[in-house]
Amino acid sequence: MSISGALAGGLLGTFVLTTVLRMASELGLTRVDLPFLLGTAVTENRTRAKALGYVAHFGFGLLFALGYYLVFRMIGSSGWLLGATFGLVHGLFAGTALVNILLPLVHPRMGAPWTDARRTPLVERPSFLMLNYGASTPVVSMIAHVVYGAIVGGVTSMAG
Amino acid sequence: MTRDERGYAPIREYAAIGDGRTVALVATDGSIDWLPLPNLDSPSVFAAILDADRGGRFSLEPDTEYTASRRYLPETNLLETTFTTSDGEVRVVDGLLFDGRGLAPLRELVRVVEGVRGTVPIRWSVEPRFGYGSARTAVGARDGFVVASAGSDALAVRSFEAGEPTIDRDRVHGRFETGAGSTSVIVLSATRGEPLVVPDRVETLTRLDETRDGWRRWVDGLTYDGPFRDAVLRSGLALKLLVFAPSGAIAGAATTSLPEEIGGERNWDYRYSWVRDAAFTLGAFLTLGYPQEARAYFWWLMSASQITKPRLQVLYRLDGDPRADERTLDLEGYRGSRPVRAGNAAADQTQLDIYGSLLECAWLYANEGNRVDRDIAARLAGIADLVAEIWSNPDSGIWEVRSAPRHFTQSKMMCWLALDRAVSLAGASHIPADHVARWARERDAVRDFVEERCWSERLQSYVRSADSEDLDASLLLASLLGYAEPSGARMAGTLDALDRQLRDGPFVKRYSAEDGLEGGEGAFLACSFWFADALARADRLDDAVQMLRQLVEIANDVGLYAEEADPADGAFLGNVPQALPHLALIGAASSIREAERRRR
Repeated sequence: MSISGALAGGLLGTFVLTTVLRMASELGLTRVDLPFLLGTAVTENRTRAKALGYVAHFGFGLLFALGYYLVFRMIGSSGWLLGATFGLVHGLFAGTALVNILLPLVHPRMGAPWTDARRTPLVERPSFLMLNYGASTPVVSMIAHVVYGAIVGGVTSMAG
Repeated sequence: MTRDERGYAPIREYAAIGDGRTVALVATDGSIDWLPLPNLDSPSVFAAILDADRGGRFSLEPDTEYTASRRYLPETNLLETTFTTSDGEVRVVDGLLFDGRGLAPLRELVRVVEGVRGTVPIRWSVEPRFGYGSARTAVGARDGFVVASAGSDALAVRSFEAGEPTIDRDRVHGRFETGAGSTSVIVLSATRGEPLVVPDRVETLTRLDETRDGWRRWVDGLTYDGPFRDAVLRSGLALKLLVFAPSGAIAGAATTSLPEEIGGERNWDYRYSWVRDAAFTLGAFLTLGYPQEARAYFWWLMSASQITKPRLQVLYRLDGDPRADERTLDLEGYRGSRPVRAGNAAADQTQLDIYGSLLECAWLYANEGNRVDRDIAARLAGIADLVAEIWSNPDSGIWEVRSAPRHFTQSKMMCWLALDRAVSLAGASHIPADHVARWARERDAVRDFVEERCWSERLQSYVRSADSEDLDASLLLASLLGYAEPSGARMAGTLDALDRQLRDGPFVKRYSAEDGLEGGEGAFLACSFWFADALARADRLDDAVQMLRQLVEIANDVGLYAEEADPADGAFLGNVPQALPHLALIGAASSIREAERRRR
């Protein structure tokens, strides 16, 4: 178990998670687009938003992998299965709190229940479990996060 | 305007709006009956033009008796419809918006309703039906707007001063009254695969202004200053609607399956880019003064054809993909004209004429001073080699007939053109000259074949195919593209024969023989323009001007053409707006300008 292993797992895991979400979008299962959501928090330029969003998304992927690593160290264990369990919790957290509540708090172009008349939101809110982006979104997001967690857990343990 | 008992408007009644990515069709009664999203070749969200009950539409009209008149805002593709009632007048401006400053929706359609005088009750209704009406569409209210979604497609409906939007199962509708000086706005924001962007009123209206200015800036670049300038300008704007901005390709038309015969089976998807149109497209943009569009198109064409090299496919998707699998949609069809098709099986046909079109296109491109890079030069030479090898094969011809392949005269003439242009390109050092002797030899062999076997002494005309006695209006292209001397005896004879057999006033039919399909069709409008063009090139200037004048009058109220027209009543048939008649109009006007110069 090592930090570099966790980071490598985070990079690979985020790559796979992004691919799963993109494929689901192309298959008509969801409209969730995490790089777009992250990027439009800092710019209204659509192209720049996507580019920055991907950078931020991979940055967050690495940060979460470090978080996983800390917990693995604390409990003295890691692996594919444990990582997948973390991914499940991570996915639930993302759908219920992170993207649903925390992102609208900091996203200047997204409305929230407390948005008043002084603001004009542009970007559609995700809602609970990101259901606004399609009925299949929770399942797709959960699968993507479980895969992410499994990769982080597995690569971390393999890195010795 | 009257719709028939099933709810279909005449094809002539449709105006087109677009943003370089997709096109919507708006009927005179204010109903948007066609809108594929997010791109022109995507499945539709509104397709009432193909199924009045289940296709989906966005209607907006006075809730009382009215008359309507329309125009495009000058030098734009923004449509203005004026509704007049006994109590007032209202103007509606419809547009698909360009990206502007700020975060814009992936696609944005706006309808601005301005009260001119008196009060006018307006009712509107959005009935979104994704996936050509087949996808289950959920409609629900959000904070201040309504969202319709199906899979990864979604549409937000937001209204300002346009009455309280009411959701009624799978449609949203409203009603309001205009007064003098009032302004109401309804915006559709569309997305695919990402969260919706829902702009406010000010941002949308700012983008509408920017879109209007954007179109006018484009028109400022028009350098054509000859006869029929207004018609040429409108044709240029119509073509620009059909240019798919993300790739530079030009679509054959904005729609699928509008019938060539009401109730018939000749219903095709024209939302692809045809290599056949290549030379016309490049020529038209150069005539208009838009070398950038010509260059972008040539690049797209060479990029799309890379995969299938050296063979060309008849048509490619707008993004360059060679796949165009044809399938039948579960829609009633315009006035019951089935089947409704998505995709086009003509992609798999063999059409020899396309090689001539591509090499003519390359010749025009190179003559404009553009550099032909080494890779493209090698591919063009490879295409010439291929033509030298296969010109003697039968093919399906320019009209993509679905009967057995044969030796179509126009295909052979285009093979001659391909080889002739290859010889010229090699002579100017644009492409490798290693095989130029073979190209020249085969070019002469093609001409011998055409002059011996594709000429009828009895008709004193070139004929549709080798050893036949049928006629075909595509023979006019011999004059337009340089195979035959326009005022020579054989072209003069061919013009006379076509005049006798295929022409009825300004209307010209495509051919006089069978094509492997049931039923008939109307007059093919591009052929009419080609006829006028050929007359001008033959220095029959007065005849050409008179014919083009008649053809300009055949356009609908906003200057657009469909593929065909019924000679009996001028009713439009086929897909609309179609690129080919607009390309041919520009060509004919340009030829008349040249003929006028020669006469001076």
